[in-house]
Amino acid sequence: MSSAIHAEIPDQLWQQAQTLVRQGWASNMEEVVNESLRRYLESHQDVLTESFIQEDVEWGLHGSN
Amino acid sequence: MAVTRHSVVVADAGPLIHLDELNALDVLSDYAAVFVPNAVWLEVQHHRPQALQHANVNLIRQLPPTPSARINAMAAIYTLHNGEREALTLCLDHSVGMLLTDDTAARLAAKSLNISAHGTLGLLLRAVRQKLRTSFEILALLAAIPQQTTLHIRPSLLSEVIARAKTEWE
Repeated sequence: MSSAIHAEIPDQLWQQAQTLVRQGWASNMEEVVNESLRRYLESHQDVLTESFIQEDVEWGLHGSN
Repeated sequence: MAVTRHSVVVADAGPLIHLDELNALDVLSDYAAVFVPNAVWLEVQHHRPQALQHANVNLIRQLPPTPSARINAMAAIYTLHNGEREALTLCLDHSVGMLLTDDTAARLAAKSLNISAHGTLGLLLRAVRQKLRTSFEILALLAAIPQQTTLHIRPSLLSEVIARAKTEWE
């Protein structure tokens, strides 16, 4: 199952993505968007964000610098 | 009140913008210098130019550092923006041990480089410890985050943070 999206993308980003497709590094724009989204979600997991915030709170309250 | 100045830090755009949205950039006033990478400077200038004009905060614009293969590889893995990439490079080039950022991926990358990373929430709480703001003021600022800033945080987590701070400061 998949969902269609409509998004405004800066020209420069779009052109870079099209270049990747033209050069054969990705089969089409859909693949570039899917892979970009997947990577973003992997590096911005909510569990990770929350653990960083907890660390930050601890530092804010009890840190030494 | 005399302010004791502490170490140098490098800032990403998030904390500068979010603290300014709260009129709380002064919580950075005890740092000897806040290095702002050029890409971050341009980003803040675009979204929140007034954040770069705070009289009591020593923001120092830094020229783009020489790209580092190590940071470039890390930027690809963690999907870092130019500003975050420059910020991490500056930390390494100038042996700065602390990055101010609200971005999870940038924090993750910083951690893997042994650079400590702290964000808007930590900086606000620290301001009480450093006697830059009162606990009353900081609790009010924390509560204002959802309405007054573009910092996104799960509401129940923010409530937990506020409750913990209240308990600690009672």
